[in-house]
Amino acid sequence: MENKIPNDVLLRVDNLSQFFKLGKRELRAVDHVSFDIKKGEVFGLVGESGCGKTTTGRSIIKIHKITGGSVFYKGQRIAAGTRDYTDKISALKKEYAEKIKTAEGGDKKALRAERNRLIAKVRAEMKAAVKDAGDCDKSYAARLVSELDERYKPLIREASEAGNSEELARLKREYGEKRRIAKNTRLVTQIQMIFQDPVSSLNPRMTVREIISEGLVINGIRDREYIDERVYEILELVGLVREHAGRYPHEFSGGQKQRIGIARSVIMRPEMIIADEPVSALDVSIQAQVINLLSELKEQFGLTVLFIAHDLSVVKYFSDRIGVMYFGKLVELADSEELFKHPLHPYTRSLLSAIPLPDPISEKKRKRIVYNALAEHDYSVDKPSLREISEGHFVYCNDAEENKYRKELDCE
Amino acid sequence: MDNILEVKNLKISFRTSSGILKAVRNISFNLKRGETLAIVGESGSGKSVTSKAILGILAGNSIVESGEILYDGRDMLKISEEEMCKIRGDKISMIFQDPLSSLDPIVKIGRQITEAMLLKNKTNRKRARAEFNSMLECLKQNMTEAAESHPEIDAAKIPEMIETFDGFNILAIKLENAYNLSSNYAEGLLSDIKDFVFRASKKQRVEVKKTLLEFVSILKLVKNPFFSAGADGEIDTLCNEIALERKAYTVAKDENGAAQPYLLSDRLLSALERTEQLLERLLAAEKPNFFRIGYYLLRNPEASLDYRDIAGVNQMALEYLNREYMEEFISYEELAIRHSYASSLAKKREALSVLDGVRKYFSSERLIPSEAKAEVKRAVDAVENAIDRLEYIKDNVAYTFGGSLQSAVDKYFRYESLNPKEEKRYEKQSARREALVARGKKVDWRVAPKNVYDLDELRAEIISVIDRLAAVYNRALDAEGERDIHAHAVGLIDYLKGRASEVVYRVTKRMARDKAIKLMEEVGIPDARIRFKQYPFEFSGGMRQRIVIAIALAANPDVLICDEPTTALDVTIQAQILELINKLKRERNLSVIFITHDLGVVANMADRIAVMYAGKIVEEGTSEDVFYDPRHPYTWALLSSMPDLDTSERLDAIPGTPPNLIYPPVGDAFAPRNKYAMKIDFEMPPPMFEISETHRAATWLLHPDAPHVDIPKTIRDRIERMKTRNGGGSDGE
Repeated sequence: MENKIPNDVLLRVDNLSQFFKLGKRELRAVDHVSFDIKKGEVFGLVGESGCGKTTTGRSIIKIHKITGGSVFYKGQRIAAGTRDYTDKISALKKEYAEKIKTAEGGDKKALRAERNRLIAKVRAEMKAAVKDAGDCDKSYAARLVSELDERYKPLIREASEAGNSEELARLKREYGEKRRIAKNTRLVTQIQMIFQDPVSSLNPRMTVREIISEGLVINGIRDREYIDERVYEILELVGLVREHAGRYPHEFSGGQKQRIGIARSVIMRPEMIIADEPVSALDVSIQAQVINLLSELKEQFGLTVLFIAHDLSVVKYFSDRIGVMYFGKLVELADSEELFKHPLHPYTRSLLSAIPLPDPISEKKRKRIVYNALAEHDYSVDKPSLREISEGHFVYCNDAEENKYRKELDCE
Repeated sequence: MDNILEVKNLKISFRTSSGILKAVRNISFNLKRGETLAIVGESGSGKSVTSKAILGILAGNSIVESGEILYDGRDMLKISEEEMCKIRGDKISMIFQDPLSSLDPIVKIGRQITEAMLLKNKTNRKRARAEFNSMLECLKQNMTEAAESHPEIDAAKIPEMIETFDGFNILAIKLENAYNLSSNYAEGLLSDIKDFVFRASKKQRVEVKKTLLEFVSILKLVKNPFFSAGADGEIDTLCNEIALERKAYTVAKDENGAAQPYLLSDRLLSALERTEQLLERLLAAEKPNFFRIGYYLLRNPEASLDYRDIAGVNQMALEYLNREYMEEFISYEELAIRHSYASSLAKKREALSVLDGVRKYFSSERLIPSEAKAEVKRAVDAVENAIDRLEYIKDNVAYTFGGSLQSAVDKYFRYESLNPKEEKRYEKQSARREALVARGKKVDWRVAPKNVYDLDELRAEIISVIDRLAAVYNRALDAEGERDIHAHAVGLIDYLKGRASEVVYRVTKRMARDKAIKLMEEVGIPDARIRFKQYPFEFSGGMRQRIVIAIALAANPDVLICDEPTTALDVTIQAQILELINKLKRERNLSVIFITHDLGVVANMADRIAVMYAGKIVEEGTSEDVFYDPRHPYTWALLSSMPDLDTSERLDAIPGTPPNLIYPPVGDAFAPRNKYAMKIDFEMPPPMFEISETHRAATWLLHPDAPHVDIPKTIRDRIERMKTRNGGGSDGE
């Protein structure tokens, strides 16, 4: 699978599952979700609260240890879960237990051997995946270090040959510092998160400078001047002023707090940002400011954004592609224009019919479509999966529904 | 449509550590019966403060500077806390913004919904008893007084007559009490049986033996000569049947040996079903009129009536009552009412002249506390005297006059003494600041503005209290002779009957629970019976908000204030909640004040919209006016800053943040963020310009001398799109 990831895909989520223990039961917050995010695009994830969209974002950035599936970033597996493999093993055990029961003497032994071989194969796969994911930071750091070596070694050699002791000392110091930082760098720092609630996501006891520079400090940068310079630069970038650096979060309004949250995630120069409902806690007029800021930053740094929200008009405005989630499943995935023009899954339709618009006459005529999963689908025999109905338009459906959706698209 | 709630010139400020924050700066609006008024604005625009002022739940550091909130003739800002308690939650209810923090986390949902019902019922019964007694006493007194001038009345008969009225009412109450008790038991038992069968069918834990024993004991209590007339035998058989089944019950086991206590025998289920049917039949039967039967039984204690034919008994008792007692009683009563009415009118005339004098005093040059106190007392006494005590629809203006006048006068004298101190403080601090500035120091603090009240305004308030009552009196005097005495007499008897039955109406915990479950089903909570026993944390955000709505509706209010009820919810739940509020509004003819910052939400809900900014209403109109023809730059900004499904260009964000209201701006508060601002916007606050009968906006752009400014292109395009989508239908409207 890893080999097949095309170059323009920055992040691939492959059968991601995230289950939570609830006493004896399990809550399937995210259930085998797969999608790709291409470089430089904004991928919107929508759904009602509790459908697992936030959990998906948090699992990608490894806040939770994922239960099953894998996450690939730039082709490198950064998280792996074991659940699918263990499920496969127990299924094999069950299957062979039946077979062994009915088999005759000699066959039993052969079957046992076959079973053990298969299980060992799955186990090996599982181990490889986990190791792969565990090593992601190490190999990334090693790559950074070797890049540094390549760059500095010849320079140092040149300097020592030239006998320029001052230059040599400077280079060595710089090299040592950068090497230390590179060794500490983790791959995940390239993905940063903006949290939903600007109030509770900022530590009330830290000044804005401390909050914004925390990532740099953790990464091993000790140069105070450099840090301050970066903080001021970022503050101005997000529309705040230098003087704000010494203040505490409570001295800011909601919109400004969210700007601080954005500054904190942008200072690490990430390639990807996971924005978890960044505007839903804000006033309408401030929402527009924050959205404009995000799109400016996107242009400026060529960011890739996973935009999680429940406000469909905002998602439509901001995203290139949209995934719709319902109770832990990804039910529809399409370009945003296509999704709004031809919604196929009944849940998407009900979601679209619930968007309030600033138009009293059509609002009063609006009929909301109610989605009832049990009444809508019959998955007792024909099992559903995510299928491509037209180019780039995926719907979670079974065979019968697939045909129906195809016909609907053809008619239009 | 008449106004149910009027807010006039309301000004509210808050004392904060950094100065006086002027949260609401002179707003007026009214709410018509059965309409939805949306108040839209950013956070900090004073919309929540306004709604809290209506309910009298402002924070402790708030100051109501001036203004009136009129509900049902009463000024909500001046009435006493006891009066307020009768209105708050009962007549005007509120849905709060955050469903998590407005529910008690350690109390079960069921108790939170029923709590108010039970408490209200207790106080209502006490109040009804007191009202019944005082009204009867008053009637007796008036009859005696009327007898002096009317020889046809036999004064000797009056005490006996009143005693009889009281007597048969009490008998009726007793009978009705017993009847209600039985009927409550029946109702509770019915829902319990349903609950039991429901739980068993859902394979939930049930304690069969204990529950069945309870059923039998309650079923026996249902027996009552009126309620279960003719069905006593049936009840006994059912009791025996259930008791037998209880004895025969054993816990069933499945093939794995696990207990299945929820498996009930068919015979038990059929017995329970028949019990249900019987109870439903009894509950559906016509209710006896105890008022009539009470009189009949008072006169004929030995009589035996066949209560199976309730309609016949009701008719017979009615004829008997009219013939023997009621006709005479009503004729006496009418005379009493006429007498009381006439004397009250005369006293009203007197009171008017007194009021005139008091008004003159308060308009005079100087007020002295002791004199003012005497004047207030004179006015209050005159008004108290002039109240027609036999009037059962209470004239609230007169009843609350004393309190209102007193508080207005108190406020005047309080600020008369406080104002100079405040002036002095201001001068002292300004002088200090100027001195520092003069010495070339950098001063990083500002002098908090003066918190001085305009004494003339306070005086005008006193006079307005007097004027309002005078206007009511003048209207009453003009309408002299138009009163239908007979209708009033009948109404009075109905009123007394109503009070008497209110005394009897006892909400038990069981009844409250049933009502709560019905409410929960009404607001769309599935499995209400199970949900009833859960804690708030077991509910999702949308469900919690529904609980809050159910609690708000429990008292059957006239006015519902929704303070951002959907801000914390996502689109689908938001749409459900909005539909729910709309549906309830239609069914119960509610008037709704809907507070939000999201214009998209109100398009579906609002009949009228008021846009608020920095404590003032900047635009007001019907929802068509505001959405299709917005006039104020702030409304434009609000509309253009939110993307709709066709938006692709860059959003027009409003730059900056709302002004700090500790230092309110001199001119138009929106001017610093407004790209169309003119010079005058920074100098003078704009007045309200009328655009049409329903549409008003406060912006200098509407002044005839102002330059012509077009609506921003994004909004114009959007309105065009909406018009084409609606088939041009909006042009004609």
